Amino acid sequence: MTSGRAAAHHYDVAIVGGGLVGCAAAGYLASAGASVVVIEQGDLNREASGRNAGSLHFQLEYRLVRHGNALAAQFAQIIPLTLLAMQDWQKLGTELDAELEMHGGLIVAESATDMERLEMRQALHSEWGLETRLLSASEVKKLAPYLADSVVGASFCVNEGHANPRLVTLAFAERAASLGAELRSGGRVTAIAAGGRGWQLTVQSRDGLVHEFECGKVLNAAGAWAGEIAAMAHLHLPIFPVPLTMNVLERHAPLIPHLVQHASEPLTVKQVSDGNILIGGGWPSRFVAKRSSNDYRHAEVLPANVLGNLQLAARLVPALRHLHLLRTWAGITGITTDQMPLLGEVPEAPGFFVAAGGAAFTLGPTFARLISEQMTTGSCSQPIDLYSPARFSHINHFMSAGRV
Amino acid sequence: VSKRIVQGVTRETPISIAVNDRDICAYPGESVATALLAAGITGFSRDRRGRSRGPFCNMGVCYDCLVLIEYGLEHRAEPARVRACLTRVQAGMRVRIPE
Repeated sequence: MTSGRAAAHHYDVAIVGGGLVGCAAAGYLASAGASVVVIEQGDLNREASGRNAGSLHFQLEYRLVRHGNALAAQFAQIIPLTLLAMQDWQKLGTELDAELEMHGGLIVAESATDMERLEMRQALHSEWGLETRLLSASEVKKLAPYLADSVVGASFCVNEGHANPRLVTLAFAERAASLGAELRSGGRVTAIAAGGRGWQLTVQSRDGLVHEFECGKVLNAAGAWAGEIAAMAHLHLPIFPVPLTMNVLERHAPLIPHLVQHASEPLTVKQVSDGNILIGGGWPSRFVAKRSSNDYRHAEVLPANVLGNLQLAARLVPALRHLHLLRTWAGITGITTDQMPLLGEVPEAPGFFVAAGGAAFTLGPTFARLISEQMTTGSCSQPIDLYSPARFSHINHFMSAGRV
Repeated sequence: VSKRIVQGVTRETPISIAVNDRDICAYPGESVATALLAAGITGFSRDRRGRSRGPFCNMGVCYDCLVLIEYGLEHRAEPARVRACLTRVQAGMRVRIPE
């Protein structure tokens, strides 16, 4: 084991977090001519970016409509970003080798209440310009004969689909590296200080060596842990880690071309090109303490939730009943207090940018593209003010005033 | 050359199971995976490129030994896919694997 302090490295941008957002942003920034380093504490794509179930969902998610119409209307502000994400993924299909498939997605209803929820979603979708279609029971039967007879209708979005989370981020990382970005895994940021011409990050690598990185700008792309990283810069970002559950079933002949969700219960079902069925949708797993009692980095699946998730999937797609569960795993994503992403510069800390928030597989490439544009040109051709961390200025006012 | 240990082992009378309509010999108490491997059948399934795959863990974890039992499962009448490493052979059992 060695220890000591290496000479400082200089970059235009230091990105904290080697997930989808960080790796994609590294590529966009490097292609704009910036010198970039990505600092990843573990390994690239090890957390939520590589552990989610790969859904590309553009209709309002269950988590956004479950708290009633008033809040759903507020959460619908995510749709403009969703529309950009839809365009981005359509382009990425030809750019990234990541098993991208966009054959449409269904949110299915089994009751009159479910149908009301779909109609509410439909109204919000059309208000914000997202094209979706309500299907009758017979239309659903025709489009998706694999669904159970209990399905009485569905909301259909023609562009929904899925991509392989094990490939997407690494494809972005490869692109970033080929454009000259430096990707450093196994280095934990331990301090962030403003000063000089920008920011200074202290990074401790696995071998104990301490590195200093000087950069003009910082991009906090630490996902669920973006709040911890912000705290090192004496800022508050209200994003919290939440542990979820994913499952994969054995291979089956082609059966489900769509992304399938439920109107009133957490569920995603999809079949990947290998034939395996992935099942997720937001069933919680549980944090376990490994290092301290407040350790939000390790999660374990809860058998009852695995069962509940699978039973729900098999209720909607009866053919799944005969398939084996191969594996189940936990992944940790970040969720903000108002369910909107954090995308932009923190006004109280010039040069400190953040791109994080839920649904960052579907929205991640778009977060990366927009934040990179803002960081290199000072503005963004598409409106992202709705998602700016400026909405939390009432908290950071005190934090920035306390900075020495 | 027998793949089974012969010296110092006493076995019951062998039974016969069918794998894709070919009869192979097995001994009561053996797993389906054991019987297949002893008969020289190492490919239990095919991957996405059509290449052969066989059992990896032989203890019920990897699921790479899934086979279709068309007939002869202890507790179910209908055909089912099962882990060959955890399923005991039965006289007259019929196993289906990709050719």
